Amino acid sequence: MDREEIERLIARVALKDRAAFEELYDRVSAKLFGVCLRVLNKRAAAEDAMQDTFVKIWNNADRYQANGLSPMTWLITIARNTSIDRLRARKKGHQDIDTPGMELVATGPSPEQSAIAASEASKLTGCLDALDADRGAAIRGAYLDGETYADLAERFKVPLNTMRTWLRRGLISLRECMSQ
Amino acid sequence: MTDLPPPTPEEESEFLAAEYALGLAEGENLTEARDRARRDSLFAGAVAAWQERLVAMTDAIAPVAPPARVKKALIKSLFPNIRVPFMQRLWVWQGLTFASLAMLAVLAMPMLRPDAPTIAGPIYGTQLTGTIDDLQVYAVLDPSRGGIAVTRTAGAPPTGRVLELWALLPDAAPVSLGLVPDDATHLKLPPEIAAQIDNLTLAISDEPPGGAPEGAPTGEIRAVGTVEEI
Repeated sequence: MDREEIERLIARVALKDRAAFEELYDRVSAKLFGVCLRVLNKRAAAEDAMQDTFVKIWNNADRYQANGLSPMTWLITIARNTSIDRLRARKKGHQDIDTPGMELVATGPSPEQSAIAASEASKLTGCLDALDADRGAAIRGAYLDGETYADLAERFKVPLNTMRTWLRRGLISLRECMSQ
Repeated sequence: MTDLPPPTPEEESEFLAAEYALGLAEGENLTEARDRARRDSLFAGAVAAWQERLVAMTDAIAPVAPPARVKKALIKSLFPNIRVPFMQRLWVWQGLTFASLAMLAVLAMPMLRPDAPTIAGPIYGTQLTGTIDDLQVYAVLDPSRGGIAVTRTAGAPPTGRVLELWALLPDAAPVSLGLVPDDATHLKLPPEIAAQIDNLTLAISDEPPGGAPEGAPTGEIRAVGTVEEI
């Protein structure tokens, strides 16, 4: 996917250019639908999440520029978070995850931070696999299946605080591995 | 676990950013993360960096073309009046729900006769949208029977004036089709106008009571619409 092309389309969508919005949809909807399906595992729910995702994209495209994310990261993260909110919606007391670029302030002094992270991204899978198996599985479970600390603690049969400590170590190792 | 030094504030902050990006932050942590992501650019940068790292988990997810109905429903919800060919005609159908009832009443009369024609020609219509105020008028035209049903759904003539409907054809002076005194009015469609219906535009002007005295519009053009086959 051509990064500049997608950025150009998002910039036009920010100006409420409908043709650009439809073009953006045609370009990225298959990837985003794949993500929604992976998280929700049901077509009807994934279709609803897709529609919500693109409504958010339309309404918030003007906030994309400032957040320093690569365009596909921004789009996929909206689709992922929207899907996970839907997945969790049935659970009592669920608080929605926020979506990037809608809440993030301009990344300011270190815009290169996310650029570096993007260049590291190719190492993610290898680094996740290099983690202690349970930690890798916990991070994947949280990201792709929307598992909460309570879900993870139950799955791995550990107290909630232990789960949090595990995950913290996992994330620190992950970041170190990816930056090498 | 006791052998680890307590985390520094930077480490805490970094972990909170990761939790927030993963969707694991809950309760007070979530409130704090949300607040800092909005105000603290360093923290926002850390969240963005985690989002970049984590999104690579979706690399292996194969694209799946969504069904066309998703895009249709999306476009319809965002742009209720979108100009795609099918939707473009929606207003005509909305107009028809008003105008067609009146029109049908007129058209149905000859149908009751034993020798009533059973095949009608194409039906045309237009929405005349206000150029000055919110005047909105639908016109349904039946050239095969020479009738026009005019329905006003919004707006009114200025005080002391009446609305008059005009046929506009290329290279010709406007031809009066009659006054539009009520919310629903039936007018005749002259055969010479019906013959050029593919090039027809309708306009409404305000005129003194009784209509334009000289057969040409004297008041302001208040609404215009291009006639199309429905």
